[in-house]
Amino acid sequence: MRVAAQGGYLTPRRRRRLRETLVAIASIGVTLLGLVALTFFIGRMLPLDPVIKIVGENAPQAAYDRVYRELGLDQPLIVQFLGYLKSAVTLDLGNSLTSGRPVLEDIGRVFPATIELATVAMVIGTGLGVPLGVLSAMYANSWIDHVVRTVCLIGYSAPNFWLGLMGLMIFYAGLGWVSGPGRIDFVYEYGFEQRTGLLLIDTIMAGNWDAFRNAVSHIVLPAAILAFSAMTYISRMTRSFMAAQLTQEYIITARVKGLSWRRTVWRHAFRNIAVQVLTVIALSYAFLLEGAVLTETVFAWPGFGRYLTSALLAGDMNAVVGCTLIIGIIFVTINLICDVLYRVLDPRTR
Amino acid sequence: MKLKHMMLSSAFAAAVAAAFPLQTAAETPPDVMAMAWNIDAISTFDPAQVGEVVTIELLANTCDRLMEYDPEDETNIVPGLAESYEVSEDGTTITFKIREGLTFPSGNPATAQEMAWSLHRVLKIGLGAAAALTEYGFTAENAEERITAPDDTTLVMQFDQAYPISLVLQAIAAYPVATLMDRDTIMANEVDGDMGNKYLATRTECVGPYHLARWNPGEVVILERNEEYWGEQPAMKTILIRHVAEAATQRLMLTSGDIDVARDLTPEDIADVSQIEGIEIATTLKPQLTYLALNNEFGPFTDPRARLALRYLLDYDAMGQSFLRDIGVIRQSPVQLGAFGALSEEEGRAFSLDIERARELLAEAGVEPGTKFSLILGTHPYSMPIGQHFQENAAEAGLDVTVERMANAQLFARVRGREFEMALMSWQTSVGDAHGMASRQLYNPDNAAEAKLTQYPSWRSAYFSEEYNQRVMDALLEPDTAKREELYHQLQLDQMQEGPQVFIFQTSQNVAYRTALKGWTFHGFRAFYNMVSK
Amino acid sequence: MDDMHQHGFRGWLAAPVPASAAQARAQQIWLGCKRFAANRSALAGLVFLLLLVIVAWLAPLIAPYNPFQQSLSARLTPPSAAHWFGTDELGRDILSRIIYGTRITLYIAVLTAGIVAPVGLIVGTIAGYFGGWIDLVLMRIVDVFLAFPSLILALAFVTALGPGIENAVIALSLAAWPPIARLARAETLTIRKSDYVAAMRMQGASHLRIIWSDVIPMCLPSVVVRVTLNMAIVILTAAGLGFLGLGAQPPSPEWGAMLSTGREFMMNAWWVAAMPGIAILLTSLAVNLAGDGLRDVLDPRHD
Repeated sequence: MRVAAQGGYLTPRRRRRLRETLVAIASIGVTLLGLVALTFFIGRMLPLDPVIKIVGENAPQAAYDRVYRELGLDQPLIVQFLGYLKSAVTLDLGNSLTSGRPVLEDIGRVFPATIELATVAMVIGTGLGVPLGVLSAMYANSWIDHVVRTVCLIGYSAPNFWLGLMGLMIFYAGLGWVSGPGRIDFVYEYGFEQRTGLLLIDTIMAGNWDAFRNAVSHIVLPAAILAFSAMTYISRMTRSFMAAQLTQEYIITARVKGLSWRRTVWRHAFRNIAVQVLTVIALSYAFLLEGAVLTETVFAWPGFGRYLTSALLAGDMNAVVGCTLIIGIIFVTINLICDVLYRVLDPRTR
Repeated sequence: MKLKHMMLSSAFAAAVAAAFPLQTAAETPPDVMAMAWNIDAISTFDPAQVGEVVTIELLANTCDRLMEYDPEDETNIVPGLAESYEVSEDGTTITFKIREGLTFPSGNPATAQEMAWSLHRVLKIGLGAAAALTEYGFTAENAEERITAPDDTTLVMQFDQAYPISLVLQAIAAYPVATLMDRDTIMANEVDGDMGNKYLATRTECVGPYHLARWNPGEVVILERNEEYWGEQPAMKTILIRHVAEAATQRLMLTSGDIDVARDLTPEDIADVSQIEGIEIATTLKPQLTYLALNNEFGPFTDPRARLALRYLLDYDAMGQSFLRDIGVIRQSPVQLGAFGALSEEEGRAFSLDIERARELLAEAGVEPGTKFSLILGTHPYSMPIGQHFQENAAEAGLDVTVERMANAQLFARVRGREFEMALMSWQTSVGDAHGMASRQLYNPDNAAEAKLTQYPSWRSAYFSEEYNQRVMDALLEPDTAKREELYHQLQLDQMQEGPQVFIFQTSQNVAYRTALKGWTFHGFRAFYNMVSK
Repeated sequence: MDDMHQHGFRGWLAAPVPASAAQARAQQIWLGCKRFAANRSALAGLVFLLLLVIVAWLAPLIAPYNPFQQSLSARLTPPSAAHWFGTDELGRDILSRIIYGTRITLYIAVLTAGIVAPVGLIVGTIAGYFGGWIDLVLMRIVDVFLAFPSLILALAFVTALGPGIENAVIALSLAAWPPIARLARAETLTIRKSDYVAAMRMQGASHLRIIWSDVIPMCLPSVVVRVTLNMAIVILTAAGLGFLGLGAQPPSPEWGAMLSTGREFMMNAWWVAAMPGIAILLTSLAVNLAGDGLRDVLDPRHD
């Protein structure tokens, strides 16, 4: 750690650092404000009638008008925006028009399912993607490299909702290797206490092994489909980082010193690209959340993505806007973390 | 090297296969009924607000009403919370005798006082369900005077006219508005004078065999048995209802034994699963009609001949044998089969695909070839096929139709605001009497745009006919049953030729269930979870 | 080294010292083409795309059936000699629909590219060239758009605008321009500092003229590569919108929408979902292959 004692005053270098930090914070603030403005704009553009969702299709006009006023739809746009901004800052996203509950509460309820799916996908994607990327760079232009690159190419060319559908048809309906749509069989669902909302952990905590096995057999297919796209991204990036590293002089020196190729790559070169790979993994986690939207729809996975798509189709404006805003905030946060990670950990940016 | 890799990868594959063993057929517990159903339409459990079929069925199984439908015969109304009723001689007052010793799950006593309050509440809140009462002359203002509870076991309802009693019993006494609600608990949770509307969005506070234990929107509804229930205890302790929108998924869950009952299968799925041993299909007609609503303010549709032409642009036989097979019965009359006064199945079916005839009629009505209009529809599995089928035939008859699919909420909003030209809609009545459909589809009290009678499909279609209004009221108040039936028959025959809507089919509801489940009972007006056993 | 002395057009292209600027440019393009053609997978991708264009163009001649012709009695028939890819839920021929669907896919991809490339270029070069406040404001806007995953943003926009191909194109473009703008800005920053641009300024050339005639041409190659590669994402996202029912409306044979109807018949009619999926996969694969090849030729700094 380089917190050397440099006296209490601001050195020019520190001053620059401080300014950079302040600018960074300010720009994130502006970005977040922009996020809010953009989602508000989208929300107002929606040609849906939020009132009807509340009063019902057959309500008398008086009730309709009352709810119209209650929702503040008769106010000028700017007043509506300020109100929206205020509620966005306090993360009060309003009530979902479908469930009648606060959107934030709904999102909190469905989020663990998505986190669980994305995390398992992440583990599989990283576990396969990083070694494949390294191997591909190590043996550039060999058959391994070609296989890995072809698989990656297919991975980012295939629509993952289609892969999910085909996967269900083959591995569930056809071969019966895995369980079908949903997170867990209905019969197990309420047989244990859901403390964390992460079923793999909850079933272990409850010691309910049947339920655990069932949850595993449900998650493996959607996670594998998601992991496939994460893997292609991770291995592609890892390969290009590693390829750049392998042309460095120290690699040649190490080779000349008689270190084995495998040892050189894993012990030396990999250490140098570790931070870059870590940021790529963090970024791909963010993209997994995006991929989850369609995958969850295909697998009837009761997570964030399905919540969003059903809100879209039900015309639940508050939920759509809330979800979009939350995803935006998560994205900005993950980017920020990557940035910080990079600055703090990477030897070259110190 | 290659060999080694191959061995490694096959070992890996074997390990994967071993770790995820074959999915064995699960079985639901003996005291649980697990059901898959598209339930994303639920928005609240407040009986003063619901009007949507899923919630009405759930409320029927959680909250007893004054009167109930006979499980064996949907035309028969039997005692519910009321042991009996008496009708005054002039036919305008009904006095219900409420059971003694009822209690709410909270322990509060449940009497006629609460019943009267519950009915007042529906009128005072004034949301969708209130129409069931306002149609028969009750208003928020006259509620306390007309609906009274002189003592704990007597409830008096005073009508403004002598309506047919069986009709009123179905429309009000056996409808969710006549739910006995726990006044003290609800009012203790009132927010901003909403009479517990928010509180009841996610709860049931009433007398009934089950109560709502959990509702995760778009996910699951769980009903738990009330151990203190006054009537016979149902066999199932828990009713699990999982929201599954996709028919294919419902089918998979049913065949793998993950659920006992699937509610929304497509004709193909039904044909396939009915071959599987251990699965049976039950079918019942619902009092629900699906139709093309025509906006009569839209130029080309003002002429009755043009509206007639559109009826010739659907191949009813082919639809009935393909995507409507098993899920609907072709019905071109505005009154559902099974209702008092309905035309027979043959009489209610006068049209078939005839593009030439349609073209002639359109020409007579002065509708130019190449006329453009849009057909808006929602997300039901049959909507798109019907829409595309109509679109194709209309194109042959020279009409240029755009089909727009949208969320149901958006569809309703457009139709409510008369902002449409043609829409594929469904309408379900709560009564087994021709008046149920006639009063909303043909009768239009006030066609003015400002009247906003959005609960009247006739108003939405801007259809107003002095003559038909009179005929609907005459039929309703006709004391002679045979004559009344005849009036309804003529009404339907005339409407089929010139009415504002193109009726297509009546919903036939299919339920596929595993035979381990015994006693599944349902008919058009409700399903009876309390009769199920294993 | 005989070919060095060839005459005629080939000789002109291969001349060791170009005699004119036009010849130099032609030689460069020729070299690029040769390099591209040497990359077999890129060539395959390009050939497939050309084939798609031809199929789209000649759809009425190639398609065995009218893609809209329904036949309810022949619904969901499996692939056979009469219907190579089977029929869908209204008895329409899936092969014919896929053939007509290429038109929609190409239309969406080309139109989106046509919107995104100029918008991204203009915003990026202006921000990079002028710097300061303009840069700050424009890049903040780009950041806001980049803060959303493109599918989410497209979903939100298309829900707001209403479904339909045109709206899908607008939504996809709104989601796809920011990375292009950012790339163009980065390129511009390196060019702006060059002596060449400084010299042009000294000669009194206007800002717009410099941007138009010097900055934009320099940015063009990397932008073209990026836009091409993005087309694969656009095609996938468009299919995703169609899958959710938010893209092209019926009876239009858009692949994503076809796939989504196929989902309902997954258990009894696999071909309804499988065929359009394969079409999407192959097209986006071809775009990726061609894009990769193009990058190697136009943007050698990459990798």
